[in-house]
Amino acid sequence: MNSLLHTNKRLIALLVLLMLSTAAIAACSSSENANKAEQGGESDAEKKVTVIRNFKAASLDPHNSFETLRAGIVETLVRLDENMEVQEWLATKWEAVDDVTWVFTIREGVTFHDGTKLDAAAVKASFERGIAASEVLAGSLKIASMEANGSELKIITTEPHPALPSELVNPYASVISVTAEKEMGTEAFNNAPVGTGPFEVVKFTPNIEAELTRYDGYWNGKAKLNKVIYKFNEDSNVRALALQSKDADIVYSVPSETVATIEQDKELHVESIAGLRVHYLLYNQQKPLMQDVRVRKAIDWLLDRQSVAKDVMLGNGTPATGPFNSSLPFGSKEAVQAKNGDEAQKLLEEAGFKLNSSGKMEKDGKALTLELATYGARPELPLIAQLLQSDAAKAGVTINISTIENADTYIRENKDWDIVTYSNLSAPRGDGGYFLNSAFMPGGSLNGTNYENEAITSIMKKLNATSDIAERIKLTQEAVKEVMDDVPHSYAVYPNLIVGMNNRVTDWKPGPEEYYIITNLMDVK
Amino acid sequence: MLQIIKKRALQLIIVLFFLSLLTFVLMKLAPGDPVLLMLEADTFAVTQEDEDALRKELGFDKPVIVQYGMWLLQLLKFDLGYSYLKGKPVLEEIMYRLPATLQLTAGGLFVMVLIAVPLGTLSARYRGKLPDHFSRIFALTGASVPLFWMGLLLIYLFAYKLQWLPMMGKGTITQMILPSLTLGLGMAAEYSRLLRAGLLESLSEQYIRAARARGIAEWRVLSLHAMRAALLPVITVCGMSIGSLLAGSVVTETLFSWPGLGTMAVSAIFERDYPIIQGFVLLTGLLVVGVNLLVDLSYGLLDPRIRKPKGELS
Repeated sequence: MNSLLHTNKRLIALLVLLMLSTAAIAACSSSENANKAEQGGESDAEKKVTVIRNFKAASLDPHNSFETLRAGIVETLVRLDENMEVQEWLATKWEAVDDVTWVFTIREGVTFHDGTKLDAAAVKASFERGIAASEVLAGSLKIASMEANGSELKIITTEPHPALPSELVNPYASVISVTAEKEMGTEAFNNAPVGTGPFEVVKFTPNIEAELTRYDGYWNGKAKLNKVIYKFNEDSNVRALALQSKDADIVYSVPSETVATIEQDKELHVESIAGLRVHYLLYNQQKPLMQDVRVRKAIDWLLDRQSVAKDVMLGNGTPATGPFNSSLPFGSKEAVQAKNGDEAQKLLEEAGFKLNSSGKMEKDGKALTLELATYGARPELPLIAQLLQSDAAKAGVTINISTIENADTYIRENKDWDIVTYSNLSAPRGDGGYFLNSAFMPGGSLNGTNYENEAITSIMKKLNATSDIAERIKLTQEAVKEVMDDVPHSYAVYPNLIVGMNNRVTDWKPGPEEYYIITNLMDVK
Repeated sequence: MLQIIKKRALQLIIVLFFLSLLTFVLMKLAPGDPVLLMLEADTFAVTQEDEDALRKELGFDKPVIVQYGMWLLQLLKFDLGYSYLKGKPVLEEIMYRLPATLQLTAGGLFVMVLIAVPLGTLSARYRGKLPDHFSRIFALTGASVPLFWMGLLLIYLFAYKLQWLPMMGKGTITQMILPSLTLGLGMAAEYSRLLRAGLLESLSEQYIRAARARGIAEWRVLSLHAMRAALLPVITVCGMSIGSLLAGSVVTETLFSWPGLGTMAVSAIFERDYPIIQGFVLLTGLLVVGVNLLVDLSYGLLDPRIRKPKGELS
């Protein structure tokens, strides 16, 4: 009896210990930002906006995360305007002196959050830091050396680099105060980077949120808001609920099926804008069958772009007319090609196929069967594949769908496929050079099938040596025309960026580039 | 006891060695590598030469076994390496996320104990009566509702409709409640049934009848005499649950923006961030073996018969 009671005491003690330790662990963690941050309302003195992004950020290191620029903490020398054209920002003008030399004039009267002045030397130090921190940035800027003289920054590139200004739109090319980093230490700096933007970091909790406050010395006019809570959550339903409960004012990437519910709330609305991404079909020209342009064109006719935009994207997409969104200066302005089974069959007949007795296209006694691979990371892609499968079946073409995990690897390694559904950002920095070079030039990172086309290659060589904007647009359009004629891809849809917002937020709209989210102009009613 | 721990420590090293070797080989057999992601080929122009150079730099051109050897050699210097995509040492990343996972595990277990123990006891005591029916319905619902749905329902009710609790984030105690409930409710369903079954079995034992005959109060018989024996199977299963909780709970972490080990591991697998995966496997292996050792030791605490080595007279 005694021992029983004794053990029992131990048991109870164990339970109590478990409970206490739970409470202790919970209490140990910081509780500074208590519930204040959670409350939607604010007084006149405090104008606050809460934003929820759909990706996490583990660090605010501006040279390894886009979110720092998005949150209005840092800025770049040049930026994209609403027409996706490169405009001045921290640089007021720039010119190419010769093939490999660019001179940028840095804006006067700009200060970092720590009060130090921005000049060419600061930009140079920041670029050096960025190049050391990010291989990607080093590879895209191709800087051989830099010279800083007052407000003039001379950049000498390792090779002719006419696209340098557009590459400087890259958030990794953000300008930071290297002196502040030296003072704070890299780790502290990456949690609270010092830039020139309208907001500075108060507190950053990796992967959860950043608390920002207005920087009163901002060069382009003090921000109208004085506080921003910039949160991260990867679950789309939770983001939508946060908007509906008024916990958040701006929510990125709302699931399209919740759009109707959100619109019913009089205090909320949804902005659905064409983004810079394109979903498309990629043909495998390593396969003899797909080497026939007539077969590729036939599949192209079978792709119902209107239905993809309307039914697959639930209206939150724009039917594609080429690799580049028509809102871009070099985007294709042609009409959308409607689905046409007759045209497809005509082309297939030209290629030697015939409808057999069971209604299937066949050649030399073999039915036309295509292997299509798709993947679930972008949920719309498998649906596009199914739509194509059913439309192709009506035209006598059999498509077998398989699901793969990693498209990039599959395209390169597995030769058993004819078509892959694919998706890329086609103009991430407002210039077509990136996509055309990566997708159609030999050795390009998006060119897993080693596609090569002489006409495109020769245009690209010219484009890669041209810095004049108008000329670049013309050459990009010429290259796109060749692409459309040869059909290595069939462009399906430009998915929209769906952003839910509270009507109390004014003077703000999401941009297709998804770079400039927090601004000095945004305000609340 | 010291003997057991010594023996277990040796076993642990062997387990971890084979675990890490197996993971490494399987990982390398799976198609893909992190190079394109590291170069951010979906946003920046990258050439085949850039890719090959990076592969060479990372040693991916060497045979798998050599790569494993290199990793092992590094490990002997207590260096888990550097994450390919997170831009920081693996140990730092894991140590940042481990406390969050421990908190969530503790929270989930707390909720589980809080619900399962009274519910299981009541349903055993009032077998076939109202509390038993209630507990059966609770168990059935709890076990059949998927975790993500449970989480969304809780968020909908407590954060959206009632606005009592914060929707996401980590830092305050209130922010711990919903994720803990999400994890704990499902487990409570399972454990209340387990406890009930155990209690019913031990309640039918002779010593219980003897205890009752001696006039010991019923609550005492139930919570002291019967409970001890009933806890054995519960603790065994619990050890396994804790193991999987410590490996992280991806769904709960995603819903509540909780920076735990689960989401880290899953994204590392998709990104083929090998050093992170290896570090994660080592850590969870260590934790699971450790928890199992504790479970084994707790048997002795609950049941004196286990404590005595064979052949020794009590």
